[in-house]
Amino acid sequence: MLDIREGDQGEIILSGRFDASQEAKAAAFFQGVTGSRVLDFKDLEYISSAGLGTLLSVQKRLGKAGDELKIINANKHIRDVFLYSGLSRIFEIDAAPSS
Amino acid sequence: MADETRLREMSFARGYQELASIFRFVDDFFDAESIDRKHRAVIYLAVEELFTNMVKYHPNNDQKIVVALRHAGRELSVSLTDFDVDRFDPTSRPDVDVSLPLDARRPGGLGIHLIKVLTDRVEYEYVDRRSTTTFFKTLE
Repeated sequence: MLDIREGDQGEIILSGRFDASQEAKAAAFFQGVTGSRVLDFKDLEYISSAGLGTLLSVQKRLGKAGDELKIINANKHIRDVFLYSGLSRIFEIDAAPSS
Repeated sequence: MADETRLREMSFARGYQELASIFRFVDDFFDAESIDRKHRAVIYLAVEELFTNMVKYHPNNDQKIVVALRHAGRELSVSLTDFDVDRFDPTSRPDVDVSLPLDARRPGGLGIHLIKVLTDRVEYEYVDRRSTTTFFKTLE
């Protein structure tokens, strides 16, 4: 199960597992997202290629306006998945919460 | 003496909604075998990518997909078998170019690429229209 909500600072907080069964839910949420945003992965346990595909589409759309998604608090599994898929070149990934 | 192999298998209907049940099946096996949970995400990922490929490429097949987990010594292997299907060998898929810039990136093929990178090896067998992909992971 995946939960997506906005935090007090406008960050987008993802919790749970971002698998193929959650693609439609995530796509519907991100459809309304504009401007550069921080994705807080503190409570995101797992992501698959389906989750990567969704985030890649959002990054492409936002990039056309010069905006981007930035990731914070990703665990080792998620960092590995971004690294080995080459997406760590396309997403800025920080360990600490952004100020 | 060789390590004893312990096997558990279960069938799942052909739909992404089954992923939660598959992950529970993996969790239960990890608990029963006292396998460190740090290995769980890689197993989730490899199982999900193979399972969703089977669903995607044969959406109208009535047969369930069998997931088998084996644990022997320091090795965990996982097989997914699809019945009465055409050959689909994920090990023969061309490598994905992960160095492409954002505009040129397409999500397709990433799942198989990640399985190849994150597990130790992947094997494929196709016999009597039965398609089985097995991946192996050393538990360190």
